[in-house]
Amino acid sequence: MTELARRIEALLFLSPDPLPLVVLCDLAEEPPGPVQRALAELAERHGPEGGLEVAEVAGGFALRTRGDVAEVVDRLRERPPEDRITPAGLETLAVVAYLEPISRPQISRLRGVAADSTVTSLVERGLLEEAGRLPEGGAMRYRTTRLFQERFNLRGSRDLPPLERFELSGPEADRVRRQLVDAGHLAVDADDDGG
Amino acid sequence: MTPGGGGMLPPDPMAAPDALQQPMELDLFEGPFDLLLTLVLREEVDLLELPLVEVVTGALGERARERWDTETAGELIVLLAAMAELKARRLVGEPVDEEPDPDALEARERLAARLVAYAPFQRAAGWLADRGRDSAGPRYRRVPVEGAAPPPVPREAPERLREAIRPLMTAPPAPSLSHLTSRRVSLPEALGRLQGALARARSVSFDALTGGAGRLEEAITLMAALELARRGEVTLAQAEPFGDIAIVGRRR
Repeated sequence: MTELARRIEALLFLSPDPLPLVVLCDLAEEPPGPVQRALAELAERHGPEGGLEVAEVAGGFALRTRGDVAEVVDRLRERPPEDRITPAGLETLAVVAYLEPISRPQISRLRGVAADSTVTSLVERGLLEEAGRLPEGGAMRYRTTRLFQERFNLRGSRDLPPLERFELSGPEADRVRRQLVDAGHLAVDADDDGG
Repeated sequence: MTPGGGGMLPPDPMAAPDALQQPMELDLFEGPFDLLLTLVLREEVDLLELPLVEVVTGALGERARERWDTETAGELIVLLAAMAELKARRLVGEPVDEEPDPDALEARERLAARLVAYAPFQRAAGWLADRGRDSAGPRYRRVPVEGAAPPPVPREAPERLREAIRPLMTAPPAPSLSHLTSRRVSLPEALGRLQGALARARSVSFDALTGGAGRLEEAITLMAALELARRGEVTLAQAEPFGDIAIVGRRR
């Protein structure tokens, strides 16, 4: 194990937050190349046979416990972490993650239901945070947090599949419309009206 | 892909009620309300077998007024009405050819547009649900390092910070007291004034002394006169009630 890898391992062990590469370079006083090689060395050292792993998450590198030992490490806690997120919460997180910063009224308009209580509970759980208002005022806007990135194992706030990937394909959208037509919910010629 | 996002997750009892996500428990179906709607639209749930009364009771509940705000309740009622209409059509068979209501058509067109526009976020929520399940295990050290540098200040233009703090740095203007009449009168001053007047003349008229002064000055002057009378320095004489008072100094 190289001297640099030893140092980096110690830094990752003590740091309460994931450490970005630039910070690691700064602390270790080494250029990015060797630091990245040291990180790779560490990742190899903390393989699946160990209880820890090196992860690139939430804008930095972290030394964290492996998922399969969650049950035993959670015994250190007084009660297991409240980890469940409601479907409404997940949809709200998805909306904010792709459109941040975004205000509650905007979320509500998009989702078609009031999002206030869902946003409040996500803020309380640290998955969303306030992101300021527009200079001209208006509603508070929200963004996802580093905790959100850690919880969903994202490398950063942009580490999401492109939204286009989730868009309904032409045939799928047509199928939704056709079903609405078949159900008597849409005029047959509605397609020609554009929509 | 589950249309309702992570529709398989159990509802969180702590979460506030969300009309479209509320759990439905029917013989035929258990899950969030909007998933039921989607399944009905996809014809994966047979509407003819769906007991509408139970759906309505489940969605609106007996205490709908307390549970939902007007807008949400309205939306639920529209959706339930659409389901009822849909079921009626199925039961009756092909509808007779009639002129559709253009308003209803427009509303339905909007509904379709919204479903299509929102679908990516529902699918993204499904992706998040899968991702969240896969990465639920790892735990992080959360212990802050003693003596650690404070977290970096969020990147914000210094000019904006300066603009924001500038109003706090200037002393506010002194509040105007012009609307308050705070006239200070003191008994020793009134005593001095009265004694001065008595030094120049043996008898002083109370009215002359207080002519043009306010009620407060009159009261204080009267107190001063009474004080001098108590000390035996003057005698007071009033010819008639509310009349002038003659303050006569005693020559020693």
